[in-house]
Amino acid sequence: MNKFFKKKLSIICFIFIPIIFLWHPNWLGFLGVQPYWPLFWLLPWSMINGSFNGLIFGLFLGLILDSLTIDNNFTQIPGLILCGILFGRIKLHSDVLVGHFRYGLICSLGTFLCGTLYFLQILFKNSLESNFLLFIPSFKNILAEVFLTGFFAPFICSQLLRMFKFSSRKS
Amino acid sequence: MLEIRRISNSRWWHKKKSWVFLGIFLFLFFVRISKGSFYKDFYYFISRPFWPGQFQKEVILESINQESLIRLNLLKKDNIRLREILSLQESSNDDNISAAVISRKTGSWWRQILLNKGSRDGVEIGSIVIGPGGLLGRVKNTSLFTSSVTLITSPESKLGVWLERIQIHGLLVGLGDDYPSLILYSKDADIKVGDFVSSSPASTLLPPNIPIGIVQSIDDSLNSKKRVKISLLAKPQAIDWVQIVKVNI
Repeated sequence: MNKFFKKKLSIICFIFIPIIFLWHPNWLGFLGVQPYWPLFWLLPWSMINGSFNGLIFGLFLGLILDSLTIDNNFTQIPGLILCGILFGRIKLHSDVLVGHFRYGLICSLGTFLCGTLYFLQILFKNSLESNFLLFIPSFKNILAEVFLTGFFAPFICSQLLRMFKFSSRKS
Repeated sequence: MLEIRRISNSRWWHKKKSWVFLGIFLFLFFVRISKGSFYKDFYYFISRPFWPGQFQKEVILESINQESLIRLNLLKKDNIRLREILSLQESSNDDNISAAVISRKTGSWWRQILLNKGSRDGVEIGSIVIGPGGLLGRVKNTSLFTSSVTLITSPESKLGVWLERIQIHGLLVGLGDDYPSLILYSKDADIKVGDFVSSSPASTLLPPNIPIGIVQSIDDSLNSKKRVKISLLAKPQAIDWVQIVKVNI
């Protein structure tokens, strides 16, 4: 049983992403905004398993998270797929400290990408509407998300990466 | 030669008494600096049971509350009777379902809450959700045990509302922040900060007269309409228990 958990650690963590997404712990937030949780998992996963796996699991994550939000018009799939592919191209760095900060920066950029793609969808849908007033809240969302994800990524990603590497080596 | 040497014990700082006096001095100095606020506050608490008119005030307030309650019940009955005569839409308390908020997304892109009552408990899509203060949102979808609610702050939400004082309808649009925007398609509307906004009696989505919010600021810069910022009475970020009201359309 223990061996099974060790071997499937990355998949078990994957199952917990939607739960954290729903949980939405306010005490971790900033201006009511949360870090973009799926990227914390997607970055180590893609770095270990490559772009193609990143793409597939980006799609899966997008599908699950879209099903949890009741906004039917917009999707998180393009952003997560793109991040999966990009993260897969990043090589592991030997310097531990540089690695830590790099995770923060990469996750911030990924969040910015996902947020911008989401905002573009909203913008495109409302382009003909004269009452479109979403600019300021959207910028606030993107900036807060970028900051928080970048802030937490060095702690979470490096731990997850270590755990995933360990579990894949054992198998 | 005789050397006079002090015995170390005789120094003032070696005496406990000196420190006690210094402590008292510092305390009194603090009292002086604070203009006796410490004493005044202390006096406030000890004299509280003896304040004049306190008991009388409570009796009067209780009577006023009772009177208001009786009047409210009478008005409710009157309202129901008149609505029946006019065959307007109504809501009854029997259809209410109490539910707890188990997931809350009140920031970020998504403005939704998840309730612990679902289709198994009789929650229907389109039911409205009310919290302490007033309207929170509408049930968008249900699972067996849960229901997802689109908050009125969500950009997806568009509702017809009613301004009681100036007797005018408006469109309440969520903006993705904590303050939805009310759009009045009349430049001459005499709206003021502090006006009360409730659900529209003509709305097909909501039961009438549910409190929503209060006008916070008014933007007159547009040509043909007024855009008004609304402060909600029910705060979705703080509410843990809600009522789901079935809408009979």
